[in-house]
Amino acid sequence: MSDLYLSHVRNWFWKSPPVEWLMKGARDVLIGTLKQGPIPKHVAFEMDGNRRFAKNHKIETIEGHHLGFEALARVLEICYKCGVKVVTVYAFSIENFNRPRGEVKGLMAMAKVKLEQLVQHGELLDRYGACIRVLGERDLIPADVLPFVDRAVEMTKHNKDAVLNICFPYTSRAEMTSAIKATIDEFTSPSQPSKPPFSQSRITQKIRSNYSKRSDSLDSIRETSPDASTRSDVDDSMSSTTALDPDSPPLQSTTAKPRRFPNAEHITTDTINSHTYTAECPPLDIFIRTSNVTRLSDFMLWQCHENTHIFFLQCFWPEFDLWHFVPVLLEWQWRHKKLLEKESPRK
Amino acid sequence: MTYQNYLPAPSTRHRSNSRVKKQDSYRFGIRRFLKAQFYALLYLFIHAIFSLYIRIRIAYHAVSNRLVAILKHHYNSPEYIARDVAALKRLPEHLSIILTLENGGKGDALEKLVNEVSEVAAWCTAAGIPKLSAPAVALFARGAPAVRSHSRQGLDLILISEDDGREAMVDLTRVLTEMVQKEKITAEDITMDVIDNELSEAVMSEPDLLISFEPYVDLQGYPPWAIRLTEIHCAPDNQGVGYQLFLQALRKYAQATFKLGK
Repeated sequence: MSDLYLSHVRNWFWKSPPVEWLMKGARDVLIGTLKQGPIPKHVAFEMDGNRRFAKNHKIETIEGHHLGFEALARVLEICYKCGVKVVTVYAFSIENFNRPRGEVKGLMAMAKVKLEQLVQHGELLDRYGACIRVLGERDLIPADVLPFVDRAVEMTKHNKDAVLNICFPYTSRAEMTSAIKATIDEFTSPSQPSKPPFSQSRITQKIRSNYSKRSDSLDSIRETSPDASTRSDVDDSMSSTTALDPDSPPLQSTTAKPRRFPNAEHITTDTINSHTYTAECPPLDIFIRTSNVTRLSDFMLWQCHENTHIFFLQCFWPEFDLWHFVPVLLEWQWRHKKLLEKESPRK
Repeated sequence: MTYQNYLPAPSTRHRSNSRVKKQDSYRFGIRRFLKAQFYALLYLFIHAIFSLYIRIRIAYHAVSNRLVAILKHHYNSPEYIARDVAALKRLPEHLSIILTLENGGKGDALEKLVNEVSEVAAWCTAAGIPKLSAPAVALFARGAPAVRSHSRQGLDLILISEDDGREAMVDLTRVLTEMVQKEKITAEDITMDVIDNELSEAVMSEPDLLISFEPYVDLQGYPPWAIRLTEIHCAPDNQGVGYQLFLQALRKYAQATFKLGK
């Protein structure tokens, strides 16, 4: 018999109307208070410990995952109430497909139901104007789950205030690989000159005709004119994103090959970043992992590279509540203040 | 599609907002004003208390760390370290550390960093850890004889520079892009293990244990590809490099269980 069912009396006390009302009031006051300070824009949760929680309390594994989902709903409410813009959660790793088949099946069935629940009465997400985004390897989502995913994304698309990123099936290395590949694709598709509105040769021609009207000091323009005509419009307006250095000869002089590529030297961190799944999200401020495991486990590796405060908490994910989040937020605010103090005298 | 932006959003929030507004309008916003004042006051109060708490915590950790450091001192003798480590079930093959460069590298901060790295390298040699990766903040620019000398004792020392983080991945992408442009390879050939192989050869392989000698975990541009399954150890409020933290991390690593996705 699980101790979760044995704690009836305690449950009765906490669920009684006056106590519940008081607790709700206390939570609201606390959140309202914390909102006075700086608030992180992007928080990531690695929801770990559902199964260990279930094992400790002698309930079914899938029951643990259900409780984990309830914790997620709680956390989302807290975060959005505080004013966090983006919440990213690690729902399912690509490695999780290695789990016992029964559990994977159960998780997928649960994903369907929960996605439906999240969206259908839409309360939570619509109240805070949050839209769902599903990050990860889309081709690995089982065919029967895919329509549920698409519908959830579609039905919350109109919300613009906040974002819930669900990483499902995701690993960070796969994300980085796909970002690198997308960058390579961007830089190896020969940039098509999509008929620029202004023609450089037309401009030079016009100027030349102006000069010829005046018929003096022609030479200076003539000198460059054959060069300009052979180069045509393609060269200078070759790629809109990466302005080519006009002095770089190797690419421009390739007359044998008609295909011209943007210069690979123009790839920067931002280019790759713009191809990650979290491209549009603000930088990650807080990374929280529960259940006392001190690894990143292939989650948000690229994102928590710098200036991300990583917290490893003792509690299991189904237990996670405001009382665990508040110390994290307070400490973040405190460090934030310290960092600002450190920076300000230098200015 | 675009004209939709100009239409009022037909959401449920609208309705709930209007109710709140009505309530506020005939109270002249006094209630809201008082509420804001109350929250601001409470915020100051909570942060004052938290600040006190964190100061006490820092002091407590500083004292207890000192005590442990005295009790567990290695007396600069490899035998003591070897004895401490002997009880552990397993050791990391590859240890990595994060250190702070104080004052932005001014004064003798750089020298201090070099000393700290060489100290940890000495501990690793004594403990029998074959591989150590440490931050190299412009170490090579000034030359670091102290660090290089350790490598002859069989310790494989990797120096991670600031360019080994995201920058290294950018460089790899540039190389791959050029190769695809020159049609040496196709874009389909690029898979995760190609990237993995290249990054672990050129930058560093995945460390087993990362010890952060910082007061809190901040990766400071640590190579993102390598840190996937690394056990991260960081004592809260820790100040400076201490042997007790090194030992603590090794103990914790010995107990940790690994289960990739299972």
